[in-house]
Amino acid sequence: MASKYLLKLYVLGQTANSQKAIKNLKTLLKNDLKGLYTLKIIDVLKNPSLAEEDKILATPTLIKTLPSPIRKLIGDLSDSEKVLLGLDLSFEIKGEK
Amino acid sequence: MGSIMKKVASGIHGFDSISHGGIPQGRTTLVAGASGSGKTVFSVQFLFKGAVDYGENSVFVTFEERPEDIIKNMKSFGWNIEKLQREKKWAFVDASPSDSDKVEIGHYDLGGFLARIEYAINKVKAKRIAIDSVSSLFTHFQDPGIIRHELYRLASRLKQLNITCIMTAERPTEDGPISRYGVEEFVSDNVILIHNRLNERGGRERTIEILKFRGASHDSEEAPLIVKDKGMNIYPRPKPILRGKGFSEKISTGIKDIDDLFYGGIYKNSTTVVTGASGTGKTVFSLHFIIEGATRGENCLFIEFEESPDQLTRNAASFGWNLKKYIKGGLVSLICHYPEDLKAEQYLNMIQDLTIKNKAKRVVVDSLSALQRIYSEEKFREFVIGQNAFFKMHDVTVLLTNTTSELLGISTITEAHLSTASDNIIILKYVELGGKMRRLISILKQRGSRHRKELMEYEITPQKGMDVIGPFEGVENLMGGSARRVEIRFDETEAEAEFLEESKSGRI
Repeated sequence: MASKYLLKLYVLGQTANSQKAIKNLKTLLKNDLKGLYTLKIIDVLKNPSLAEEDKILATPTLIKTLPSPIRKLIGDLSDSEKVLLGLDLSFEIKGEK
Repeated sequence: MGSIMKKVASGIHGFDSISHGGIPQGRTTLVAGASGSGKTVFSVQFLFKGAVDYGENSVFVTFEERPEDIIKNMKSFGWNIEKLQREKKWAFVDASPSDSDKVEIGHYDLGGFLARIEYAINKVKAKRIAIDSVSSLFTHFQDPGIIRHELYRLASRLKQLNITCIMTAERPTEDGPISRYGVEEFVSDNVILIHNRLNERGGRERTIEILKFRGASHDSEEAPLIVKDKGMNIYPRPKPILRGKGFSEKISTGIKDIDDLFYGGIYKNSTTVVTGASGTGKTVFSLHFIIEGATRGENCLFIEFEESPDQLTRNAASFGWNLKKYIKGGLVSLICHYPEDLKAEQYLNMIQDLTIKNKAKRVVVDSLSALQRIYSEEKFREFVIGQNAFFKMHDVTVLLTNTTSELLGISTITEAHLSTASDNIIILKYVELGGKMRRLISILKQRGSRHRKELMEYEITPQKGMDVIGPFEGVENLMGGSARRVEIRFDETEAEAEFLEESKSGRI
């Protein structure tokens, strides 16, 4: 079994890009990583100190903290292939299938 | 009616003078310069002094160096940023590069960045912020359009919050565009440039220039900038004044016979240049001048570039003058330096500070040519003009010495700025006559008064120092250096007129 994924998604309030990113990510996780992840959604307006710790500049930003290496994906995550690649998931998922 | 733009004190020595009051308050000001020009020091000093001296807390947004490196580097200026952090007067927004990869997928904005900035501002109730540098943002992200839009948004938000902001920007080359990515076009109406250029002698020289302040006045020329042990210093170009107070009272040079050549001494508050080859007695002349002042209880400043304090006091003692006593008593301040020790602006600063501090009435700079040797022509001219303007405003009688390279023969006063900056010019020369080296003194000019035009012979003796013996008679081509005796066949005054013509035409 693959190790568990720890993901953080930084969003900015109710903005369109952020809403899209949440939707896109949730769909992708449901399809490709069911039960294998923990996702925290963080609003930079409500938790700016967390954004400071993770040095967030752009929103939305998705961070994969575990397993290492850390990856940062910026944007509304509209291209799921790229997201999988960016999270180093592409190979693993295909292998399982 | 437009409102007058307020400015806040920059905390950078000299900047508030060239900017007519500081950094535009509640606005964003762009500071652009090539790498290594000192943009970070400018920003940090503005923030640090703001928090410490002006009660304006600060946020520093760092893109290039990590906060811990900034803290460490700025300690060398004596700035304790950690203490300010503890006191909640300073906050960092750390945007320094992290080692994790970044991939862009789809649309985004810089909401995270803006939220962090506002969070930091609220945390310390900041009034000042610096972003160093905005150019780095463009390297972080692929879409420059987004960055431009977000920076514009940031500047507007800061204006709304009435926060004074410095944004730094990288200049690709010294003489190229103002900044990479044309940041100045959308971020700010206020632009400051820091130049870092090679000078004629292969060293680097930094200057600062205010390109524009929307709706506010400022100096328009470049001013020298130096970063030294306590931070950044800017040296506003002195504003030359045409004339100080007029001349009225005459004072003694310390040599009675020379006073006679000037018909009763030199004017108080005038500048005298004594020019001559090495060994003609310029330093002795200077000592006469200073001892005369000290004897009268006037404060004197003696800037010496060629001899050590010991040499000079011994030299003075050999003529029977107790210079040491006057120095100890505080009446004479003697500053000995290698001319290479400081830059022109620093000398100017030092001379001005000491003159004011010591309330000096007589100042000697021995020799000016030592500085000319190491400065570029432009720099030297500025130095002389700046110094002259300063002395004129402060009622100081000044003696400057100038060493000419030719021992004998014609030497021109090519130092045109020396000539225009001075009120009196005294020439000391060697002449070869009858198989002997003799010394000649001549007054080339005295502004505002007539003077005697004879060429006089003088000696330097342990008893009297500089001792004028009397006029050379029956000799011609003295100024040429190889004199020969002639029979006096024509009217003396004619010969005199000839000499004068020569000197006017600049051949002397």
